[in-house]
Amino acid sequence: MRDQIDKQSNPFCPLSTGGWSGGGKHNMRKKSPQSTVSASQAFFTHLSCGLALAAGFWVSHNVYSINLVSHPDHTLFLIWVIQCPLVVLFYSCFRKNPEKCLYLKAVARGLLGLPLGALLNALGALALGAPVGIQYLKRTINWSLMMSLFTVVPATSVYGSSWTDWHRIFAQTKPNGALDYMVCLPAHGALIGAWFGAWPMPLDWERPWQEWPVCVSYGAMVGYAVGMVGSFALVLAQGKQKYRKAE
Amino acid sequence: MGWWRAGKWPITILVIHIVAILIFTRGFLLTRTELPYYSQCSDLSKSPCVYSDPSSDNETCWTRPAVDRLIIIVLDALRFDFVAPSAFFPESKPWMDKLPVLQKLASSHPSSTRIFKAIADPPTTSLQRLKGLTTGALPTFIDVGNSFGAPAIVEDNFINQMVQNGKRVVMMGDDTWVQLFPNHFNRSYPYPSFNVKDLDTVDNGCIEHLLPSLYEENWDVLIAHFLGVDHAGHIFGVDSFPMIEKLEQYNAVLEEMIEVLRSQSGPGGLHENTFLVVMGDHGQTLNGDHGGGSAEEVETSIFAMSFKDSPPLPSEFDSSVCDTDLDGKKICTSSIQQLDFAVTVSALLGIPFPFGSIGSVNPELYALGAGTSNMEGSNQGNCHDQLKLEEWIKHYVNVLCINSWQVKRYVDIYSASSIIGFSSEDVSHITDLYAKAEENWLSSTRDLLLYKNESYQKSIPALKRQIFYYFDFLSGVAELARSNWTEFNLKMMGIGFGLMLVSLYIYFLAIKRVNKSYGVSLPSCGDSGISFGLIFASFIVVIRASSFLSNSYILEEGKVANFLLATTAIVKLRYSFMKKKMVFEAIVFILLMFILRITIDIGLSKQAATSQFMNASPSWLLGIAISQPIWTSMIEIVPILALIILAYLLCNTTSSSSCRGVPKYVVLGTILSYLLIALHWATENDVLNVALFLKGIERNYIPQTVYAIGFGLILVLALDSLFCTKKTYDCKVNLFVKMVALLSACSSTVIILSGKQGSMFALTSVLLGYCITRLEGIDQDSIHGADGISTLNPVPVVQWSLLAVCLFFATGHWCAFDGLRYGAAFIGFDEFVLVRQAILLTIETFGFSHILSVFGLPIVIAPQYLFSQTDNRSILSVRLIQVFLMYGLIMATTVTATILCVTIQRRHLMVWGLFAPKFVFDVVGLILTDVLICLASVYYTGGLVGNTPHDKTR
Repeated sequence: MRDQIDKQSNPFCPLSTGGWSGGGKHNMRKKSPQSTVSASQAFFTHLSCGLALAAGFWVSHNVYSINLVSHPDHTLFLIWVIQCPLVVLFYSCFRKNPEKCLYLKAVARGLLGLPLGALLNALGALALGAPVGIQYLKRTINWSLMMSLFTVVPATSVYGSSWTDWHRIFAQTKPNGALDYMVCLPAHGALIGAWFGAWPMPLDWERPWQEWPVCVSYGAMVGYAVGMVGSFALVLAQGKQKYRKAE
Repeated sequence: MGWWRAGKWPITILVIHIVAILIFTRGFLLTRTELPYYSQCSDLSKSPCVYSDPSSDNETCWTRPAVDRLIIIVLDALRFDFVAPSAFFPESKPWMDKLPVLQKLASSHPSSTRIFKAIADPPTTSLQRLKGLTTGALPTFIDVGNSFGAPAIVEDNFINQMVQNGKRVVMMGDDTWVQLFPNHFNRSYPYPSFNVKDLDTVDNGCIEHLLPSLYEENWDVLIAHFLGVDHAGHIFGVDSFPMIEKLEQYNAVLEEMIEVLRSQSGPGGLHENTFLVVMGDHGQTLNGDHGGGSAEEVETSIFAMSFKDSPPLPSEFDSSVCDTDLDGKKICTSSIQQLDFAVTVSALLGIPFPFGSIGSVNPELYALGAGTSNMEGSNQGNCHDQLKLEEWIKHYVNVLCINSWQVKRYVDIYSASSIIGFSSEDVSHITDLYAKAEENWLSSTRDLLLYKNESYQKSIPALKRQIFYYFDFLSGVAELARSNWTEFNLKMMGIGFGLMLVSLYIYFLAIKRVNKSYGVSLPSCGDSGISFGLIFASFIVVIRASSFLSNSYILEEGKVANFLLATTAIVKLRYSFMKKKMVFEAIVFILLMFILRITIDIGLSKQAATSQFMNASPSWLLGIAISQPIWTSMIEIVPILALIILAYLLCNTTSSSSCRGVPKYVVLGTILSYLLIALHWATENDVLNVALFLKGIERNYIPQTVYAIGFGLILVLALDSLFCTKKTYDCKVNLFVKMVALLSACSSTVIILSGKQGSMFALTSVLLGYCITRLEGIDQDSIHGADGISTLNPVPVVQWSLLAVCLFFATGHWCAFDGLRYGAAFIGFDEFVLVRQAILLTIETFGFSHILSVFGLPIVIAPQYLFSQTDNRSILSVRLIQVFLMYGLIMATTVTATILCVTIQRRHLMVWGLFAPKFVFDVVGLILTDVLICLASVYYTGGLVGNTPHDKTR
């Protein structure tokens, strides 16, 4: 019965079909209320997020023939628009309490988290010294939407409004289990990368990429990528550990 | 001896710092050695040049006098685009083309009139420029410090030469001239120059005396120095109505003057052979600042005019750029180094060149004056021009010969007599160049000049070759002087830097040892003493310190400090979420950071430099039309509101804690001065029409009263803590009350000096201090049982010091001498008294960032001891001194980094424009901080140690 509901409620989840999830559904539900993630799922999720990022660049470069340096706002817009469905749909598959929470609900709260996270990111950036001004408004909005996809949206999709989980991930940084790694590491990577990315901005090299969101975006993307690789490595390591324990 | 225990470490470190900085400064800011030699007429016989011109050997000294009378009109801070036609610039601005009389003359009389772009050498402050203009040397950086009390020029200069050679000099305008040349003028009409708000006194005085003087015969050189444009720039900026008004006034004066001169320029007239120079001493930025080396500041203008025609220059010597002006007429401008002005003027007047001058006689400026003199014999035929030209070139070659010989003599004597002269390879290079020129001169050119029998076709190319030999030599010397004049003494710089490192080590030692001197055994700093907080704090300090290695980060220092402070705020927010406490305070902290960063932006865009705070906010900010009446009344009311809130907070703290006696009266006195400040602002801006009510009261009385109250309160507090050590209240409250009393006593003076923004910044810093304290308290509450003693967390101290840096920039300062707000020195006073105004300026500059920050430092340890139950006075004193030492350590670390950076970048292009001012500001700040730390630690621990004698015996 539950299987039926589960399948019905996951009409679009790209990960619910196909045999590569290891057939662990029954086991995982018995072990913990939280849905666990296999290494291949983590790999596939991170790969598609990374590919979506690359696709954003590809589209902006080949279709619109613009790039981050020449048209930061348009490029950032394309990146987040392309990445948004992938991030929301994938991470919604790993939502907590899948039996209580419908897939569509997870998607909806992920979408709701997008502007909220963008607001948080924008406020943080402005407090740190991002330029204020009408001419920077579009760039700041698009940048913070992208940052929101890196940081907040996965968490909203997965944890919803569960305060304890948020607290664990973002305040204490004590990720526990594969899913936590997948949310926590890329988000922190993106934030730290963006923080370091702001460093070259005041230098007087007068390069176009020193403009406000460009190098910060690059930093965030690099940090995000490193975070994803790290998260995958940890998931892999954890999987092996469990395997050994089981043996 | 309680004070010695408290002040032992700070005083030791203060002494070390002073010694270190003195030694380093001696190595870094070396002055050029001023040589006490003067050029004499008779000197020329030692030169290889033709010194007695056969044609007119009656009263020739060095060169044949080309002009009889000279008028120098100095318009202070004259930008190049004030004079040059707007066609030379990409877009026309409102302040351009406001001196049309000069442009009209330049286009209608191209052979007798010329506009020059004059390039000044930094530092572009008036005093330095006047010195450079008259001596023809490169003024050194150390002179900037003397800018307020201008000392007499002891080096040889052209004013001195004029006087020595019997020229009568009349001066009017800026009284700096009289200070520079106390006994040189026949007549002088000086007017006080330091009141920046006064746009008209000096100018009106000039105008009053200038025009009548033109009809008089009893002078040879007239100098008139107008200051209005400089002052208008300082107060209102370049793009302002008063500036345009000033320029239009000058235009009218110049027009009238030139008319008078022209009317008497006929043969036998008073001004038959008069040379007129209208020049700026330096430029200014659009905000009216100057002092640095940016293009806007160094590019000024010289307009030169004679009332005769000069021959067309050979194109090799012509640097002019031509364009068509608004009326479609051709107009040309040339370029000149200000360095060359002194020697060119001397050559025109026929006086000996100043001994220390390293400039070269500029061909274009010289040709304007010297062109048609002595042309009586050769005024016929087609070869008239050719003859004229040849005559001129011959003359010019000889002048250059004298010029080069004089410069060579100076270089030789300077190298021999100065302790650290030029490097030997540079000198040998220069000597080679000169030898080549001299050899050519002696072998061929000299004969050409002496025996006039060669044909023009042969002689002119040879003369030109000779001129270029001399040019090579002279430009070589100028280049050498520019690049090498600041001789750094690396050994001394190294010793100074080493001493700074020693002081850092002593800080570490002191922080570890200070508890031992009190005989208190604190629980040792946890496990191995390394916590996350320590690592994070040192990370932040190290980042900030290493950021000084790049000039870009120094320029954006405020933003860097804000970035780091906001980072600590975000980390704290995360921490407070983790502990699920004080989230509200953390959010307020970040919101305040947001406000602070906007004000830093404004401050950095140099627009808050003028006293109007919100008016200066760039219009991009929120797109609000500033001229709206609601907005303007907001600007008036918000600062007063902030003051009232501050007063309310003060009332609250004193009434809530059991505060009696002296502190209570101090706080009451402060509230009284707050009221006075509010009244002062209200009368200034005519809010609520109180101005009418207070019309009788002189506007200076209120600020003066506020200063007096502040001074009196501090005195009372100091005496109180010195003599009345028997206190009945317990130490925690005592410390807090003492802090509030001292801060409030200092604050009123700082606020009134900072202008309207002052009260808002005071409120902001109080709030931020509260947030930092509360956030620091997160941990303390959790280990409530353990007597409130934990390791001292360095993060809040770092935050506090970053906040101090942010406040320095947010209040509209930056590390440059044009960042000083000279206007603040005149709040409450109209006339200039060096010591008084310097003290006010220091208080204004360092008020928020140093004075209030150091005195407010106990707030950082407040949560540990104010809100917990400990009663141990010794521990409190130890903590207090540790906090002060830690703050001092952070300051010293950044200053050490600055010193290292200055050492590394000493050959950097911006060393005088950027690194040296930063160094001076940092060093002054460090010494000030050290002194304040000494005072504060004695003051705060005084009551604590004094009445616990039993601590010693423990």
